[in-house]
Amino acid sequence: MKGGDPVRYAIPFFIALIIAEMIWARRRKAIHYEPGDTLLSLALGLGSTAAGFLTAGLVFAGALWLWQFRLMTIGWTWWALVLCFVLDDFNYYWAHRTGHRVRWFWAAHVNHHSSQHYNLSTALRQTWTGFIALSFMFRVWPVLLGFPPAMIAAVGGINLIYQFWIHTEAIGKMPRWFEAVMNTPAHHRVHHAVNPIYLDRNYAGVFIVWDRLFGSFQAEQEGVRNHYGIIRQLGSFNLLWAVFHEWIGIARDVWSAPWRSKFGYVWRPPGWTHDGSRDTSDMIRDRWHESQQARSEI
Amino acid sequence: MTGIAIQLGISLAAILALAGFAVWLKLGGDVRLRDAEEARELARMTLCGFEPIDIALDRAGIGALLRDAGGRVMLLKRHGVHFAGRLLTDHRAIRLDQNFLTVGTGDSRFGAVTLDLGPEAQAWASSLRHLGVRA
Repeated sequence: MKGGDPVRYAIPFFIALIIAEMIWARRRKAIHYEPGDTLLSLALGLGSTAAGFLTAGLVFAGALWLWQFRLMTIGWTWWALVLCFVLDDFNYYWAHRTGHRVRWFWAAHVNHHSSQHYNLSTALRQTWTGFIALSFMFRVWPVLLGFPPAMIAAVGGINLIYQFWIHTEAIGKMPRWFEAVMNTPAHHRVHHAVNPIYLDRNYAGVFIVWDRLFGSFQAEQEGVRNHYGIIRQLGSFNLLWAVFHEWIGIARDVWSAPWRSKFGYVWRPPGWTHDGSRDTSDMIRDRWHESQQARSEI
Repeated sequence: MTGIAIQLGISLAAILALAGFAVWLKLGGDVRLRDAEEARELARMTLCGFEPIDIALDRAGIGALLRDAGGRVMLLKRHGVHFAGRLLTDHRAIRLDQNFLTVGTGDSRFGAVTLDLGPEAQAWASSLRHLGVRA
C-alpha cells in the first residue's frame, strides 16, 4: 500500500511539543494546567488508537469495495495528491459540521470537546465511537471519483497532523494572510470555546476558507476570555463516562420520549428536546444576542 | 497482533510518563473561588441567561450556591483547576449539618458537594426544600 499512515511518524513530534507546552505553561502560570485533564486526554487518544486498530481495516476494506465502482482511475501524481487533500478537507468540514449539528454524530465527537482546557493534549482526545456513528462515510466517497483509498487515508492522516499544533494557547495570531486562508490556533480556540458568540463556529480542518464560504466563521475577539468545554460540563475525569456519556444520554432520552419525538433525539441538534426544556447552541446564541442588544439600548 | 500490542504498550508508557512529567513540573494547583463576583461570572458562563441575585460562597472557596430571580438554583463545584455547575432540580439530595450543606445534583458522575456556608447554611437549606416540589 502506498502512502502508509503518516500519523505514526508524527507521534514523537506530538510528544516533544506537549512537553514543550508543559514547560511553557509552568513558566506562564502553572495553576492553569491540569495534569488530571491531560491524563484523560491522552488516555482518550490511546483508546481511539486501539479502536482504530479494530475498525480501520473494515473502513479500508469498504473503500476498496467501493473502488470497483469508480468513474475513473486517478494515479499517484502530485496534482492528484493536492486535489485529494483539498477535497478531503472539504469533506472534513462537512463531517465536522454534522458532528456538531446532529446529536448522533455529536455523541462520537463530544469527547474531543469535553475538556475545559485547551492545550496540545486536547488534540489527542479523539473519538472511540466514530466507526459506530458511521462518521467515515463523509470521507470515503471520493474513491468513487477514482482517488485510491490509500491516497485518501494518507491525506486524512496529514489533515489530522496539521490540526495538532492549532490546539494551543501558546500561539496568539499568525500573519494576516495565514489567518485568512488557514485554520490557526486563534480560529480553533473559537471552535472549542463555549462563549455564546463562539458556539458552533469554525469547523475547518486545515483551510478556514470553508467556514468563510459557508457562513460559519467567527474571528476570535480581543479582550474576551475564552471558556472551553461543552455546554453541560462533565465535572468528572472518568474515562468511560467521557467516552460514552452522550450515547447514554441519547438512549435515556429516546427511552423516555413520546413515540413521535424519539427520533428527534437522534438526528436533531444536541440540546434539542421535544418540550423545550434544554437549550441548543442556536437558542443560547439568540438569547445572548438579545441580552447584548438590551444592554446596548440601556 | 504482537506488533499492535507492543505499540499500545509503548503508547501507554509514554502517556504515564507525560502525566508524571506534568506532576513533576508541579502543574495544576489548589484553585478557589476568590469572591462572589467570580462565582457570578462562572454561573453566567455555565448557563446563558442565568443572572444570580443571591450567592452563597463556600468559606474555603471550593464551591458556591447561586439563585436567580426565577428561583433557579445553581451549584458550582471545583473540577480540576476549573469550576463546573449544575442547576438543582430536587431537594431530596440536600443535607444540612450545622454550617455544612451537602448538595447532590442527581448526576452521580458530577457528584455531591459539601459546602461550608457558615450561618447562611440553614437559610439556604430551608429555601432548597421547595426544589422539585410541584405547586
